[in-house]
Amino acid sequence: MPMNDMRGYQPSLVDMTTGLISREIFVNEDIYAQEQERVFARAWLFIGHESQIPNPGDFFVSRMGEESVILCRDRASEVHVFLNSCRHRGMKVCRYDDGNATVFTCPYHGWSFGTDGALVGVPFFREAYHSELDKSKYSLVRVAQLCRYKGTVWATWDAAAPPFLEYLGAFTGFLDLILDGWDGREGQAELLGGVQKWIIPCNWKFPAENFSGDTYHNISHRSVDLVGAGPSGRSRRDYGELNVARKLHVAIPDRGHQTITYVLPKDHEPQPAYQNSPEVAEYFRHCEEERRRRPGANPRLMGAPGEIFPNVALLPRQPRTLAVWHPKNAHETEVWRFFFVDRDAPRPVKNFLRDYYIRYSGPAGMTEQDDMENWNYAHAASRGVIARRYPYTYEMGMGRAVEDWEWEGLRMPGRVIDLTKAQASEEPMRNLYGRWAQFMEAGSWDELMPWRQSAIGKARAAE
Amino acid sequence: MSGAINVRTIPAGTRVTLASGAEVEVVSNPQDGVWLVGRYLTSDDPTLVGAEDMIFAQDVVSLRDQG
Repeated sequence: MPMNDMRGYQPSLVDMTTGLISREIFVNEDIYAQEQERVFARAWLFIGHESQIPNPGDFFVSRMGEESVILCRDRASEVHVFLNSCRHRGMKVCRYDDGNATVFTCPYHGWSFGTDGALVGVPFFREAYHSELDKSKYSLVRVAQLCRYKGTVWATWDAAAPPFLEYLGAFTGFLDLILDGWDGREGQAELLGGVQKWIIPCNWKFPAENFSGDTYHNISHRSVDLVGAGPSGRSRRDYGELNVARKLHVAIPDRGHQTITYVLPKDHEPQPAYQNSPEVAEYFRHCEEERRRRPGANPRLMGAPGEIFPNVALLPRQPRTLAVWHPKNAHETEVWRFFFVDRDAPRPVKNFLRDYYIRYSGPAGMTEQDDMENWNYAHAASRGVIARRYPYTYEMGMGRAVEDWEWEGLRMPGRVIDLTKAQASEEPMRNLYGRWAQFMEAGSWDELMPWRQSAIGKARAAE
Repeated sequence: MSGAINVRTIPAGTRVTLASGAEVEVVSNPQDGVWLVGRYLTSDDPTLVGAEDMIFAQDVVSLRDQG
């Protein structure tokens, strides 16, 4: 066995032809440093939700990769995202989690910035700078692109990145399952309570991979199934529909987004759920009926865990949450979990869901604890010099994915593996790491948008 | 107690004197303990009189009155 003198990323570490991926990509500190530049400085990242900043001057301090950023609504109600670092000596200009401010003042030398990012106050501007400092050059650093989508706020540092909805591609419909109302109305979600934040001792890709669609690890949650943490006191979730649904892995090639999803038969009627609370049961029954009547809503699609590249996990149904896996260093991840609920839901419904959500997810949630044990110990057991010599296998279901999957008139985008009998595949993980490798190797966004080239090729062929 | 003035507690409408001798009326207070927004009432520099500007806490040497 050769000695390992790995220094940084090499294409051979992610071998899509064999399904073998080196442990180095999880534990190597040089690779971690490279991915901050190549992945997190280029990809679209989740910042927060507009319901966190409803009024002028409201702010929420978020993160992009390792870096602190301020999500802010200025005096004119425009939404901005700024690097939380003074242009003079780099001190954080905001050290609160959230709040309302007229200015962000650096506590070090006193430089002060408006809620639109402009440098508005420089101590001794006339005396020490002789009024010669060009303040317009030293606004807070703003993101290159910002997108507000159905209440969520996303941003990228890279001006060459495609627009957010193009970045999402056909995955948009899966994100909509969280952001739209349960009755099918667009963008009805609001944040429920605060953001849960905690640190876990593993690389950020462990949870990203898990939420990409790891159905193979369900045995880890056996104890939660036995306890009956679900909304009706049974199992983990109220998913009566699963007996008749088709269970799928859906991976969007060249985007790096992937998910588990369930497809219901045509004309399927809603199943009873939340039976321990008549008011909650009635609310969801009413919403399901409305959803079936509403044009454009897709009542046959049931959301399940998925991942938007690189570090945002979605869980659209039960609980309804987004999680962000913020890289802290190669061996630590700061998890932020956002919980969502219909804005117009009655208060008792929101209270019921909050109790269920925190019982399930977050640092005290039973399934999250199961997952964290796996990720944390797997990371620790992969750091040693001997362990690093042995790659992980992602061979499950290789070559089994199909395109243009369709069932009873419902067509699914991307590459699909039907799990109804197979139970599990590693197609989503291969999609995640294939995209990660593209980011690590590509010199520019031109190389990261092969779909544009194929669109040009099709147009030329048609001429 | 030091002689330093806590600008965080100064309400709008208060007149303050700056180290330069200029007199300023506080327009608003961001309450960051570092800055006030003020309008110059008097100044050796005539271009400042009537102008609104950010007033640095260390420049405030005394409080006059409220309006």
